[in-house]
Amino acid sequence: MQPAAEHAIRIDGLVKRYGTVTAVENLSLSVPRGCMYGFLGPNGSGKSTTIGCLTGLLEPTAGTIEILGQRFNSENVAVKRRMGVMPETLGLFEPLYAQEFLAFTARMYGLDEDTARTRVTELLAALELTDARKPLADYSTGMRKRVAFAAAVIHSPDVLFLDEPFESIDPAGVALLKQWLRRFTEQGRTVFVTTHVLDTVERLCQQVAIVTKPGKLVWEGDITALAHDRAIEFDGQQFRALEALFLHLTGEKYADLKWL
Amino acid sequence: MNRELIGNLIGLRYKLMWAKTRSRNGRIALFAIGYFLLILLGALFAAGGLGAGVAAVKSGQAALVAKISYSGIFMSALLWTLLLGFGMNAVFSDTELRRYPMTAAERRLVRLFIGIVDPFWLLVLLADFGMLAGLYVFGKTPLGPGAVAVLLLLATNFLLSRALGTLFDRLAETKLGASVLLLIVLCIAMLPGALVPVLQRNSGLRERVVSILFFTPPFAAADAMTSAESPLIGLLLLVVWLAALFGVLVWFEKNPVRARAIHAQAARWDSRYERFGALFGAANAPLVGFWLRFYLRNNRVRTFCFAGLPLAAFLAYSMGRNHDQWFIGALGAMPVLGYMGTSRIAVNQFGYTGGGFRRFFLFPSDPGAALRCASYASLLMSLPMLPLGLIAWYVIAPAGRDWRQGFMLLCAGIAGVLVFNALGLWSTLYGPRKGVYDSTMGNDLSAIGNLVLIGTMMVGLLVPPLLHHFAPALVSPDNWALAVIPAGVAYALYKISLALAGHRLNQRREELMRIVEGKL
Repeated sequence: MQPAAEHAIRIDGLVKRYGTVTAVENLSLSVPRGCMYGFLGPNGSGKSTTIGCLTGLLEPTAGTIEILGQRFNSENVAVKRRMGVMPETLGLFEPLYAQEFLAFTARMYGLDEDTARTRVTELLAALELTDARKPLADYSTGMRKRVAFAAAVIHSPDVLFLDEPFESIDPAGVALLKQWLRRFTEQGRTVFVTTHVLDTVERLCQQVAIVTKPGKLVWEGDITALAHDRAIEFDGQQFRALEALFLHLTGEKYADLKWL
Repeated sequence: MNRELIGNLIGLRYKLMWAKTRSRNGRIALFAIGYFLLILLGALFAAGGLGAGVAAVKSGQAALVAKISYSGIFMSALLWTLLLGFGMNAVFSDTELRRYPMTAAERRLVRLFIGIVDPFWLLVLLADFGMLAGLYVFGKTPLGPGAVAVLLLLATNFLLSRALGTLFDRLAETKLGASVLLLIVLCIAMLPGALVPVLQRNSGLRERVVSILFFTPPFAAADAMTSAESPLIGLLLLVVWLAALFGVLVWFEKNPVRARAIHAQAARWDSRYERFGALFGAANAPLVGFWLRFYLRNNRVRTFCFAGLPLAAFLAYSMGRNHDQWFIGALGAMPVLGYMGTSRIAVNQFGYTGGGFRRFFLFPSDPGAALRCASYASLLMSLPMLPLGLIAWYVIAPAGRDWRQGFMLLCAGIAGVLVFNALGLWSTLYGPRKGVYDSTMGNDLSAIGNLVLIGTMMVGLLVPPLLHHFAPALVSPDNWALAVIPAGVAYALYKISLALAGHRLNQRREELMRIVEGKL
């Protein structure tokens, strides 16, 4: 295992149970600094629960979490200040306008009023969130995602947790986010992303972890080979696309309905 | 008409209710206890109605007493539905029902039927039927037409509540709506006080008013039950009311008003809220500012802030009974004036935040601060109502302008607001429920939330008259300085609750998250 300083995130033996139901089972993984890390798995495999534990939303049943070299728990305010999170539910306050919501978020992360105004204005323009007449409740799903993304990056965090950021956003929006995320990691910052859009992961991420139900790690590795048209070897087979590897690992099958 | 689908949807409403119940440990027991209590309450209502029926027959003025009793039940139902939202929950919106193969008329039918089978309306029905039973057993009222009259009266009562609720909603959405609403509530609050002495003096006017009242639903229903000649006129009148109210509701539905409030104008940079929030410390300014926006953009909060003053005047008048006891009534009404506006959110602070609730745990701050700041925002909106109440008191007080009374009223108001907000912190933690921020109708509070809201109101209103009866010195202006004691105790309770509840929030965050996001 590499020294702690080289890792933005380290999870060791993470367990999360809800009563008798296990959502995450003994998960251990390491995310290097400056890496775009894809955290993949079928629906209900504990991806959002893992992000919940990593961001302080949920209390792990067992295991340890280190973020940016510090032991992390839900009360570690210093680490939270360096984290940006786009949660599964987006976490928006619907009666607010986009600019109010972003300014509020910026202030909560300790930005002064002038910096907050500047960044809010720039983010709104860049993400084309220019319809200031609507409260967030009236935004489309794609626009809401853009606002949630803006809230995650407004304080320029060192680690970014994104829970399904690309779904529902139009192609132009996705291209912009990808471009920002690449620049983000080039600056040595880290992105931990869950998504079902495997093509995007293939092009964007350097490393990937695949989990199955219940939150059990089945594969972790470098996928940069795929971007260079090379194959990944696993189980004595060669996989030239992430989708094939994913289906092989998770055992997902397509049911054939005769009436459909 | 797709009867099967309509039946399935009505069944679904109860399946959903049961699904919510069984999803948490201990809830089934609570559910059973709740329904046992409802049956007891129903029996009480039916017995009350029966008693009124017996009294009506025994008094020899069955028709008059029945009219007055039915009017009482009718008006009480209106008050409870419009003020506290009982029996007004929509369950399915028209948009939700559009996914099913149903016509507009069928969707309307489903929504109205689901609304009227709410337990609240069952209680009203029991009271109405109890009265009919009394009239039938001890009098000469025919059961068949009487039962039809009761059912028609209940339907009219329900539709009138809906129509008035929708009207208030529409008024709240318009620019002058809140002022018009204030005027309406003022008129309703002051009407009995102004009307009774005039009617007592003028018998001609009294007869004319009674003849007009004949056309009201409760009078028509009572007439259908007690009329010696024919019940048909009363029944016909009820049918006309039903048709008219149904028509009004259909018209409202087909002519929706365009939302005003925050939708109409472009947002500006505005730090006023944060500046007010800074009264509670610079660190709390963004959170208090956020909560102030959250409160002030809510239609129901705005409407109830406006309605608080006339409501308090009405309560002071009702509880005071006569002029020399108005002050006693006002002592109980002052706290209501303070907390009425923010009450719905104050007892369920996170219930309307939806997915946003998660943010409080992602921010690099103590999550308990979110709870405390929500409470500060509620106080910021509640306490300024008290000086308004004092001004109103000095304008309309019948017993002169005694500064000691003003001081006691202020202390009572502060005590009530602090106690209510202290209890609101606990009901936010232990009685949360996912609610719809924009809904202005319906009661979406949990049992604990309702207990805090109604319990605080009832206790606050009843304590001053009880003290006046058993220990008059305690509420006498001669001992005005004693009023500081409840205010001080309330302040201590509030401070202790703030400290403890803030700490408990972090421990309960996962369960709260599931409830607030509708997963539990």
